[in-house]
Amino acid sequence: MSFRSPSILPGFGLTFGFTTFFLSTIVLLPLAALVLSATSMHWSDFVSTVFSARALGSYRLSFGASLLAASINLVFGFIIAWTLVRYEFPGRKLVDALIDMPFALPTAVSGIALTTVFAQNGWIGRYLEPLGIKVAYTWLGVTLALTLISMPFAVRAVQPALLEVQRDLEEAAETLGAGRFYVFRRIILPTILPALLTGFTLAFARAVGEYGSVIFISGNLPMKTEITPLLIVVHLEQFDYQGAAALGLVMLVISFVMLLTINLLQAWGRRSQVRAAN
Amino acid sequence: MSITLDQVTKHYGGVPVVNDVSLDIGDGEFFVLLGPSGSGKSTLLRAIAGLSGVDHGRIALHGRDVTHVAARKRGVGLVFQNYALFRHMTVAENIEFALRVRHMRARARRQRRQELLRLVALEGLDERLPAQLSGGQQQRVAVARALAHKPEVLLLDEPFGALDAKIREELRRTIRQVQRELGITTVLVTHDQEEAFAMADRIGIMNLGRLLEMGAPHDLYSRPATRFVATFLGAANLILARRTPDGIQVGATTVAPAERAAGARENEVVAVVRPEEIEVAASREELSSGYLARAVADEVVFTGALERLRLRLEDGALTPLLAYGDGEANAALLVTRTQHEQRGFEVRPGQTVAVGVRRVHVLPTPLSSFTACAASAPQAEALSRQPLLTELAARMKTRIATRVEPQLGLAEAPCQGEDTFVGTTVIAADAAAAQAAEWLLRRGARDLLVLPDGARAPQRVLIHWIGEAARSATLAVSASVLRHVPAEAVYVGIFAGPEGSAPPQGMRELLDARSEAQAAHGLEMRTELHFGDAEQQLARRLAESPGQMLIIGVSHLGEFAARFRTLLQGGRWPVLIVHRGAA
Repeated sequence: MSFRSPSILPGFGLTFGFTTFFLSTIVLLPLAALVLSATSMHWSDFVSTVFSARALGSYRLSFGASLLAASINLVFGFIIAWTLVRYEFPGRKLVDALIDMPFALPTAVSGIALTTVFAQNGWIGRYLEPLGIKVAYTWLGVTLALTLISMPFAVRAVQPALLEVQRDLEEAAETLGAGRFYVFRRIILPTILPALLTGFTLAFARAVGEYGSVIFISGNLPMKTEITPLLIVVHLEQFDYQGAAALGLVMLVISFVMLLTINLLQAWGRRSQVRAAN
Repeated sequence: MSITLDQVTKHYGGVPVVNDVSLDIGDGEFFVLLGPSGSGKSTLLRAIAGLSGVDHGRIALHGRDVTHVAARKRGVGLVFQNYALFRHMTVAENIEFALRVRHMRARARRQRRQELLRLVALEGLDERLPAQLSGGQQQRVAVARALAHKPEVLLLDEPFGALDAKIREELRRTIRQVQRELGITTVLVTHDQEEAFAMADRIGIMNLGRLLEMGAPHDLYSRPATRFVATFLGAANLILARRTPDGIQVGATTVAPAERAAGARENEVVAVVRPEEIEVAASREELSSGYLARAVADEVVFTGALERLRLRLEDGALTPLLAYGDGEANAALLVTRTQHEQRGFEVRPGQTVAVGVRRVHVLPTPLSSFTACAASAPQAEALSRQPLLTELAARMKTRIATRVEPQLGLAEAPCQGEDTFVGTTVIAADAAAAQAAEWLLRRGARDLLVLPDGARAPQRVLIHWIGEAARSATLAVSASVLRHVPAEAVYVGIFAGPEGSAPPQGMRELLDARSEAQAAHGLEMRTELHFGDAEQQLARRLAESPGQMLIIGVSHLGEFAARFRTLLQGGRWPVLIVHRGAA
């Protein structure tokens, strides 16, 4: 397709120009600087920084906890969205507004709040302590913080899709003899699956990039409760800009690959549906 | 019986959307529920399917009580207006859905699917997605899907609403054909009377949550019992006429009614004249039917097979016109003429013609028109503008006249106006209402509405009569009122004596009243039992909650004013008195 082909909708040239300009200056240029800075390192330095035991531990925690948080939000975010969309109850508007709180709060505040509650002498932490469950200063706390701050993404992605599920379809399935679980599995789930995946992706992406809330509750023990963003800050504080850039590059690559995979999966899902049609 | 509904009632926010509907639909019958939007027909269908519960009453399918059975266990097939196909499934998967739920083997499923696709003429489209089909094809898939599990009952909720005229006709034929082939009991909901006529074995017409009338299309069209059915099912001219010993007097002519009403005395009635039953000619002498009046052609519209005329009756024509087809109350008479009639006598706009009537049908309703009666003209005027009265008149498509009786309520004083009372007389529920009521009843008023200031349409109508002579008239009037207000009807039985002392024959009476109301007037009512003095108990019951109205039958007027003072001068609830003497 030629860029100059006449279109019914005018303004393609202008909007496409803006799109490229913004993406370049705001996203691509800083990323390129990051790559450039990392590649100016010596190869052996790069490898030793990136594959050090401390770095590997931080990747595992960062991506593991983020995946776990996104998975938790996939389930509970769906349930919350379902409740908000399907039921009328007093205070529904209030609950709906509460969902966005983690968006608005500075993440450090969330971290401090969580620590207050889950520390060994905190409101909930003191009852978990005798059970042998430690939340603050463990990977559990990290996951909790990441779950909290990425929750709105999961809810807000599913909500509009759920609104669009026609009640007629469920009723039709019901008159045809389907039970509730069957209706959910065969009618509702397939309809909202793309939205669920989007919610998962957004929540995951948000969790991987999170810093503020985690540093308070994690305790930041190297190898144990240290997330990659924190490790990067540690490098920066030691004026090891290149090391920080190298770790950043690794995060960039892993995140990009994961997000790309999910997007491809989604596109493939859509295509296979269309192909079945032809 | 395939489907039996017994007093099914459903409320939304206190308002009955389905109001005491009882109905039997036979095996293999094609039943059409027809009504305007908001009449409760879709809610009733959903109740049959089990998608919405009922507040009261019973639903049985093939003798099995399913009132509390979940939709998926009722074995019905439901087709929605917007198809409701599963968009992520192919046609084959959609049709096999019900079979898959029932764990049928793939081979048997495929076979059944082929059968169904042939039935709805969609062979070979198995692997398409709904989005790749036209609207008509999608609805065919929906029909096939609804039939897959061999339901005992097929329910169709405005299935043609989203389709254009040509496809609609085609699909109509397909569905009728499939229905005959399978012999499946079918209920179709629609607001389109043409569709109802084309498909139904029987039509049930709903309005304001009530099932007003049901019957074969032709019977309903030629002999409607209610104004609503007369005007909703095709166009109709409603005309106020007089029933005389010789027949029905419409304007200058007296026509023998299409059916004889036995023992009816001379009174005002509402006559239905279909537009095709009216004849126009150049002069009175050239008419082959009874002469009605002279009229001017206001509008002549050519619509293909038929020509439509709107005639304005000339001043001085004695016949008050109430309404025609669309419920528009004015003085236009609607006429349709065939090509043949047009060739015989051509009518141009502005031309004066003689109008004749071939056939008149008299509605059995006892309420014909209202007359607001007061001691002075301004009072009568104000009374005629009361909200409840104007609402009733608008819904009944009738008129409100006024009448001034300066000596209203003065004992022994004669009537000022002519001494006959037509239709329902209305007076204000003021401090002298009881005297005024007795005065009017003694001078010949038969139906008397005592209206408090600002009263609104009631949510509950209490029904009671004192004296058997008034029984059947009270039921007839009640049925007529309740067709026009969305209220529940309660028959109040009252026994003299202390609580719990009801004699056995008293209970019988109660049940007899209910079944008579149902059989003779199509009125479904609840029953209540009270003990003590009738007037006191009624007043107490009426004072309990707002939004109630009383319809009371009386057969003798002895000490009327004294007895009814509290009931009529309470000032909060409207009371309709039905007076029918013993002789």
